[in-house]
Amino acid sequence: MAWILEDRLKPYQPVRSEPYLTAQIKDHVAGKYFPRYPNKRAALLPLFHVVMHEYGYIPTQAIDEAADFLGLTRSEVQDAVTFYEEFRLEPTGAYVVNVCRSIACELCGHKDVLAKIRDVFGIEPGETTDDHKITVFEVECLGACEQAPCALINEDLHGTINPGDFCATLKALPAKAAGGH
Amino acid sequence: MAFSGPVLLKRIPNDPQQRKLLRYADYVATGGYASLKKAWGMPAEDIIKLVVDSGLRGRGGAGFPCGTKWTFLPKESFPRYLAVNFDESEPGTFKDRYLSDYDPHVLLEGIAIAGYANKISTSYIYIRGEYHKQAKILEEALLEAYANGIFGQKHPGTDIVHNCYVHRGAGAYICGEETGLLESLEGKRGWPRIKPPFPAVAGAFAKPTIINNVETLACLPYILEHGAAWFKSMGTPSSAGPKLFGVSGHVNRPGVYEDELGIKMSTLIDKYCGGVKGKYRAAIPGGVSMGILGTDQFDAQLDFDIGRKYNVLGLGTAGVIVMNDQTDLVVMLRNIVRFFAHESCGQCTPCREGTAWMHKMLSRIVAGYGTAKDFDLLLEVGLSMGSMPGTTICGLADGANWAVKTFLQKFPEDFKKRLKRDVVPGVTLTPAGAAV
Ligand SMILES: Cc1cc2nc3c(=O)[nH]c(=O)nc-3n(C[C@H](O)[C@H](O)[C@H](O)COP(=O)(O)O)c2cc1C
Ligand code: SF4
Ligand code: FES
Repeated sequence: MAWILEDRLKPYQPVRSEPYLTAQIKDHVAGKYFPRYPNKRAALLPLFHVVMHEYGYIPTQAIDEAADFLGLTRSEVQDAVTFYEEFRLEPTGAYVVNVCRSIACELCGHKDVLAKIRDVFGIEPGETTDDHKITVFEVECLGACEQAPCALINEDLHGTINPGDFCATLKALPAKAAGGH
Repeated sequence: MAFSGPVLLKRIPNDPQQRKLLRYADYVATGGYASLKKAWGMPAEDIIKLVVDSGLRGRGGAGFPCGTKWTFLPKESFPRYLAVNFDESEPGTFKDRYLSDYDPHVLLEGIAIAGYANKISTSYIYIRGEYHKQAKILEEALLEAYANGIFGQKHPGTDIVHNCYVHRGAGAYICGEETGLLESLEGKRGWPRIKPPFPAVAGAFAKPTIINNVETLACLPYILEHGAAWFKSMGTPSSAGPKLFGVSGHVNRPGVYEDELGIKMSTLIDKYCGGVKGKYRAAIPGGVSMGILGTDQFDAQLDFDIGRKYNVLGLGTAGVIVMNDQTDLVVMLRNIVRFFAHESCGQCTPCREGTAWMHKMLSRIVAGYGTAKDFDLLLEVGLSMGSMPGTTICGLADGANWAVKTFLQKFPEDFKKRLKRDVVPGVTLTPAGAAV
């Protein structure tokens, strides 16, 4: 209901005193990305890729800080960030498993992959294991259809998946992912 | 027609064990960047003319003549940008990824040639976010290219310095649509723009911009090297040149294969993919937007005339998805429509609402609750959306339209046998109407 404003004005996550966009992140983005474009706004996607890499998700506060940093309004930043599926607004497990559900993967058994994940880890797409190790999502075509069924574990593509082996691989991963998200 | 061996894939061995990433030195050792040097010795207009003469048509989906597109840039209007479309998110499409997995420099050489011919200041390679590895490969290849004077220098004979950067998307199919891509590049949500103005006049940052697909640009070094007549010696009169075909689904050896345009789908599958797994039933010729080829269209010629000849939207990305006779086509259409419903950017009502409705209808049919009128209703909703019926901004909705239309037209019985008359749980239809 649009006329009830309070709820929407409340920050929906606790605000922390130290910034998410650290001086280091800002220097990195300003040094590497600002010169590439005629305006700062175009560095928005690169900036949030850095935030994702650093924190594994995009905290609300980072959106506010990015608005200041890029010289935009908060709504402009929010408008853009919420459009992109890779920019997750909630924390996830250490490993994000993106299982492709598009046509070639459906033809080649993506459902068996999800079923096995459900059996072994007890999670459905969108859910995280209790130990915060694994979050699974269903996503659209990963551009690796010749390797259907396929999935990304964080940044790494796994193709021609055998569901059992794939879950064994996931089980064998160390509790914390190396090198951020 | 004369295709005597791989062109774009000449540096990538057939045997997966032998494939490796080509570095700058490997690329140069196999003749790489010689075409760029040759181009630098030619007047820019001659290169554009060569590309027009070659008959090269865009490999990104629409098949627009590449050289002609370049001539739309307004004269003496600078700076100009080149946006390289590496979004590659159409289900069934993975050719651009495969090419740059191993041979990233051929794309960079193509960019350098197009950049010189069109006096481009900055080229942005817009690569989909999920291609983490490929973005890194390109970043590294770019470092090598910069170190060797391919970029970061003035185009010979001008004062224009040409830079090239990788720009990563973040998971949105619609950013492959050229103006959605530009919005995304500018740091906004990827909402396609209303045209005109066309990107050649006011594109990225409101400046003249060319948008080309990865494979289109990768053809340029070879056209420079061998000439327009050679390029035209492959393919058909309307569809010149070699082409990458990505084949997936029910075939024995899925993968990316190269042959000339105009090759029969059956030949492609039998010659390169080890045949169909099981018995052929249907195939999608070029990504899910294109619609479906029927059981009697196994021999369809894969070229830019395919739409007219076989009642599909077009060749699209030439990502062929093969389905055998065990496939549930209703479930496959639901999969395709769900994709469009999920990826619709939401600006146009027929697309936003229509794709979601069709997904619901198809889910209902799959669940066994489809009613007789659903068949006509699906067609009606499908046919009413798209830039060709003139109800939407971009072509995403046309893709949904063609998928639904051709599945229903070519395989009506698959749908009709799933539609039950009068079956709604708890409701019995009487001649007078519904009674609970
Ligand atoms: C919904 C939609 C998605 C598209 N996705 C891509 C894509 O991922 N890659 C691509 O090269 N072209 C894509 N296109 C086509 C582009 O709009 C554009 O025609 C193409 O990049 C032009 O390059 P070309 O002339 O070299 O083919 C898409 C078009 C539409 C309507
Ligand atoms: S047709 Fe669909 S995807 Fe394209 S602009 Fe309209 S709503 Fe967006
Ligand atoms: S359909 Fe799964 S990667 Fe393309």
